[in-house]
Amino acid sequence: MASRVDVAVIGAGPAGLAAAIAAREQGAEKVLIIERAEQLGGLLPQCIHNGFGLLYFEQDMTGPEYEKAFIAKAMSLGVETRLETMVIDLDAERGITAVSRKHGYMRFKPGAVVLAMGCRERSRGAVGIPGTRPAGVLTAGTCQRFVNIEGYMPGTRYVVLGSGDIGMIMARRLTLEGAKVEAVVEIMPWPGGLIRNEVQCLHDFGIPLLLESTVTFIHGEERVEGVTVCRVDAERRPVEGTEKSYPCDCLLVSAGLIPENELSRKAGVELDPVTGGPVVDQNRQTSVPGVFAGGNVVQVHDLVDWVSWEAEAAGRAAARFADKGELKAAAGVRVMPGDNIKYVVPHTISGREDVTLHMRVTQPGLKATVKAGGILSKRFRSVRPSEMVVLDLKGEALKEAGLKGELVVDCEMRGGG
Amino acid sequence: MAPKETIICIGCPLGCRVTVIQDKKGNVAGLKGAECKQGQKYVLEELKNPVRTLTATVPTGDEGFPLLPVRTSLSILKTLLKPVMVETARVKVKPPVKAGDVILKNVKRTGADLIATADWPGSTGEG
Repeated sequence: MASRVDVAVIGAGPAGLAAAIAAREQGAEKVLIIERAEQLGGLLPQCIHNGFGLLYFEQDMTGPEYEKAFIAKAMSLGVETRLETMVIDLDAERGITAVSRKHGYMRFKPGAVVLAMGCRERSRGAVGIPGTRPAGVLTAGTCQRFVNIEGYMPGTRYVVLGSGDIGMIMARRLTLEGAKVEAVVEIMPWPGGLIRNEVQCLHDFGIPLLLESTVTFIHGEERVEGVTVCRVDAERRPVEGTEKSYPCDCLLVSAGLIPENELSRKAGVELDPVTGGPVVDQNRQTSVPGVFAGGNVVQVHDLVDWVSWEAEAAGRAAARFADKGELKAAAGVRVMPGDNIKYVVPHTISGREDVTLHMRVTQPGLKATVKAGGILSKRFRSVRPSEMVVLDLKGEALKEAGLKGELVVDCEMRGGG
Repeated sequence: MAPKETIICIGCPLGCRVTVIQDKKGNVAGLKGAECKQGQKYVLEELKNPVRTLTATVPTGDEGFPLLPVRTSLSILKTLLKPVMVETARVKVKPPVKAGDVILKNVKRTGADLIATADWPGSTGEG
């Protein structure tokens, strides 16, 4: 690449677009987004449903509408893009190796890098469902692409494994397109997605949600002919004698998302085994100086609005790094997940500036109080693992507390369960 | 009319199951199970007027862009979702289309328009 790149953003989904915009607004001159697909927007073009932007724009938008607002802004700010270009390596000195059919092999070292690769779906192989290997087993996101972009209906009768948001949204979409969705099967005792999706995607159409159940066998030779669904016990093992068969020609797997961090690993970025994403400080800087990360590559969010906000923080900090050649790690205090908290992002904070903590609880419960050390305690009527808990801490309060070393975040239940 | 109906509130992760108690004439006589005032308001509205935004696609006949995503400009009664879906399969669109363009006015007399949510420049434009 001939000219110097100040900030290189890997991925052009909602995170990449927001990071690039923020980096430009922060003063980075040349901001380049590298995207392996043939268009910008990541997965947003296929998310034709509404529910996007309720927080960010205070408007109920569809995926394509949300995407369009960000693309228009990025273009007006002169963000450059390289489409159909795959980053195949990132080293610990921010050296990027990328290839594309049009430009061939490229190597360059930008002033800073923002990782915005998003996440991918857990597949049949990853959840290990026994049975034959017929056609008709696909992830919910792949099915979404077929139905909403390509114009194919992959089947007529469906079972959905996993009650994540994409699975439930696809159950509704397929029903509206005339297919029959026999059931959504969820291994946990609670649904995996947002309550509004449970109501508006499943209840509205009378689609059964089978909790504490899983698919234990896929039947069919050439094509899926049906699946066996079993109840599971408290250890989530199938209970013998509870088998029920569901004839279907398609099984959609919607069993969770995994942050996509192959490149991060190559660069030697430290990863958090719980989130599956990089360990980041308040600026979303990873353990490799000058490499930042934002959006679903860091933690799987339930709302795109938070993806955009998180990536903006990464983009701003990346621009500052590119300008100064360094950025003091905002990592004086380690944030530790305590009682009933699965993880907290960011992993470290400065302890001086305002910061937003994102976290997920391990167990659902009623009347919860989430406490960040002695600094802030916030009451919630209920908490669920599927709905992210957000806590805003004020710099003043943090300074006053004079934190040394760590800040533990706990979630206590005041009653019920 | 059923004397009892259960509506799940979607206002927060709690997801209160609210039982609506109706008298013989079908008037709401009381609500049971809502933890907060906003929840009661939601349930009464949902009972009277259960509306949803419909999102779908319409076929374009363009190989490079087979489907144009669309939505209703307003929320429509949920009982009208299916009839409007049938219309989305029938409608013919011609490029160029811009996000926000009306594809069908007052679709199925819902009072809502069917509007495009993405641009479709057509074969002359660069996607």
